[in-house]
Amino acid sequence: MSGHSNWPEWIYVGVVIVLLAYVGAEAWNVERLVDRAPAEAEVIKVIGQQWFWTFEHADGTKEVGELHIKKGHAYKFEITTKDVNHAFNIHDYVVLQDAVAGRINEVWFAPDKAGEFPIQCREYCGLLHYNMRGTLIVEE
Amino acid sequence: MDKTIALMAVLTILVVLPTIQLVFAAGTDAHEYVNRKVEIWNLFFKMMTIAFTVGAVVSGTLIWLVWRFRESNPNAKPTKYEGTDW
Repeated sequence: MSGHSNWPEWIYVGVVIVLLAYVGAEAWNVERLVDRAPAEAEVIKVIGQQWFWTFEHADGTKEVGELHIKKGHAYKFEITTKDVNHAFNIHDYVVLQDAVAGRINEVWFAPDKAGEFPIQCREYCGLLHYNMRGTLIVEE
Repeated sequence: MDKTIALMAVLTILVVLPTIQLVFAAGTDAHEYVNRKVEIWNLFFKMMTIAFTVGAVVSGTLIWLVWRFRESNPNAKPTKYEGTDW
């Protein structure tokens, strides 16, 4: 095909590849930052059951329905359930992880504001699902 | 030669971009934890910007293509595959 240039096609292909590479790299990087808990993060075991949350700190202290933690520290939640599936959610800190029977799912965060924040179940788990709430209390 | 240069440029970008991402991410201080809300929403906004830009370019190109090469366009000329009784 004389007089015909393929350059626009090559530029188009190049732009698409570069965009896909950028999107992939960016998403991969954010996922890496958000998923990997720092080594010093304190482990808190979270157990969901119809229809309340139980928390167990590293020193063995247990709390039901309330969770007391400190601002500026990193915490890693190890989440499971005793009965049906639940989902552990602290909306204000964008923490959301499924609680699945027989599995321990992990999610971490570091609160940067003191105060009280709602904890809720985000997986329909039965009659009183709507009331499966708790309170996160972040202390200075 | 030109195609080789273009291919090398694309490959370089493919390798360089993720590396730059890594280097910037490595600067995080041990006691400056990431803010999940900020990271996740930033990613969302970037992806939406790219998605809408690409969507506008692609749909704009298609709309122009359909408009420019419609049969009723006075500038439209039959290709050699379309017969002679135009």
